[in-house]
Amino acid sequence: MGVLRLLTKSDYLLRETLLGLRRGGWMNWAAVSTVTVLLFLFGVSLQASWQMEGLLHQFGSQLEISVYLDTGIQAKDLQPIMAAMPGVTGVTAISKEESWTSLMHEMGLSDIEGATEQLDGNPLVDELRVKAADSDTVPVLATKLNQIQGVDHVQYVDEAVKRLAQLSRGLNWVSIGMTTVLSLTAIAVVTTTIRLIVMARRREIEVMQLVGATTTWIYLPFILQGLALGIVGAIVAWGLITGLQKFIQDLLAQQPEFIQFLTNGMQLSASESLLLPLALLGLGLFVGLIGSLFAVRRFTTR
Amino acid sequence: MIQGITGRSARAFPSQPLEPPSDSSTPQPSEIMVSLKQVTKIYTNGCQALVDVNLQIRKGEFLFITGPSGSGKSTLLKLLYGEEQVNQGAIAVNGNLISNLRGNQLSMLRRQIGIVFQDYKLIPRRTVAENVAFVLWAQGFTRKEVHRRLQPALKMVGLQHKADCFPDQLSGGEQQRVSIARAVVNTPPLLLADEPTGNLDPDNSWQVIKILRKLNAMGITVVVTTHDEQLVRQSNHPVVQVHNGRLYRVQG
Repeated sequence: MGVLRLLTKSDYLLRETLLGLRRGGWMNWAAVSTVTVLLFLFGVSLQASWQMEGLLHQFGSQLEISVYLDTGIQAKDLQPIMAAMPGVTGVTAISKEESWTSLMHEMGLSDIEGATEQLDGNPLVDELRVKAADSDTVPVLATKLNQIQGVDHVQYVDEAVKRLAQLSRGLNWVSIGMTTVLSLTAIAVVTTTIRLIVMARRREIEVMQLVGATTTWIYLPFILQGLALGIVGAIVAWGLITGLQKFIQDLLAQQPEFIQFLTNGMQLSASESLLLPLALLGLGLFVGLIGSLFAVRRFTTR
Repeated sequence: MIQGITGRSARAFPSQPLEPPSDSSTPQPSEIMVSLKQVTKIYTNGCQALVDVNLQIRKGEFLFITGPSGSGKSTLLKLLYGEEQVNQGAIAVNGNLISNLRGNQLSMLRRQIGIVFQDYKLIPRRTVAENVAFVLWAQGFTRKEVHRRLQPALKMVGLQHKADCFPDQLSGGEQQRVSIARAVVNTPPLLLADEPTGNLDPDNSWQVIKILRKLNAMGITVVVTTHDEQLVRQSNHPVVQVHNGRLYRVQG
């Protein structure tokens, strides 16, 4: 019922909110830009952490172990032994010549003969790609494979993933810390802005108190002003992030397929691209709300 | 009917502090707008404003409170609208014990009290009409209701032609009339005027008093503080005097 009553009088609240924002003048700009910077960085780091997760997932879903052989050992010789091991679903042999050719290709070199001569022959070794049945068996299988005669070393995605996961966790902490500090800054700026508006309207507030306006009714416009600053900040930040995404996508479209493949995992899912603006809006509203509550707190508690 | 009650009910006696009413002629509680019982107010810095004050104001009454400046007149009014709290005693306004009111209850009581200030307290950046309507918006009236009430209130004080002027474009008398319109636009049963003529010349003062009497004739209980003895004598209403924080009856 209270909400319904509010709605019938919302034109008053709207008018007072806009009037207040006009009184705020350039301070609004300070508040909105601080909130925007906060939300932009928050959005970018949130997106980055999602992309990181996507990448990890992409790697993690592959159950391959790369087995590098000693120099001079032929991949073809060891392939049947490995294929017969329990928990192995498939083995692919890659000779050092194939690896060399594809590496040269990826590096964009055409004169393979020349490069080989310069390096005093093909420096690579034969490689086997062993596919495990499930991810739990990967480390055990890797140890067994390592013990086979002629195997120099094995490498499976777990290590790379571990490192990436560490990096991702570190990045998350950095972004949580940064978001916290910037949130406090933004709240302080919003508080200052709203308090200036409150000060400018001290007389009106005094009169309102004397004629029996309820505390909520007096301060609701100020709370709405804070929320408005948060919303505007969120919209601008989202615009910037969308722009940045587009820019990077355009840039990637011109890159070789190898890089495009790497960044496939970085595509946001549909739910994530909906969640991003919602998260920005949420944090923006939070900062605006807390900032404006701080600004009117001194007056409400007396 | 209103005038009939007027004049007998300010229970104050010359040269002696007021006693609480105890005789058989005590008015029924439903007829009493304001009642102060043994009220003492001492500010936290030790300044003694009111001592053992008893007063009853009936509904429909027009009461003057006089006294030299600093005698406690304004404090008395502030106690009535809850700006200050008593140290001892009890105050009831329209049946509400003020000391019991918390938060929004006090706001709701203030909606029953119109207040006129010596310094008008108009909002400089809003027009006359906006200043008057401001009270209604502040109390959560709907747009329709605000428009319905605005014109009659301005007409009552004779300022409908200046509705779009800003306060600093008006004379002092006109500003005070705006503040009266603002005080009564939500039709409160009680009107408190704290030195409403303090900054005005005799002509304007008299005009303000005439408006207050018109409102009183419509049934609003009016309490006016003033130190203008001339004005009090002219208007022939009951008067109580505050002197050194004590209340004395002077006339009526």
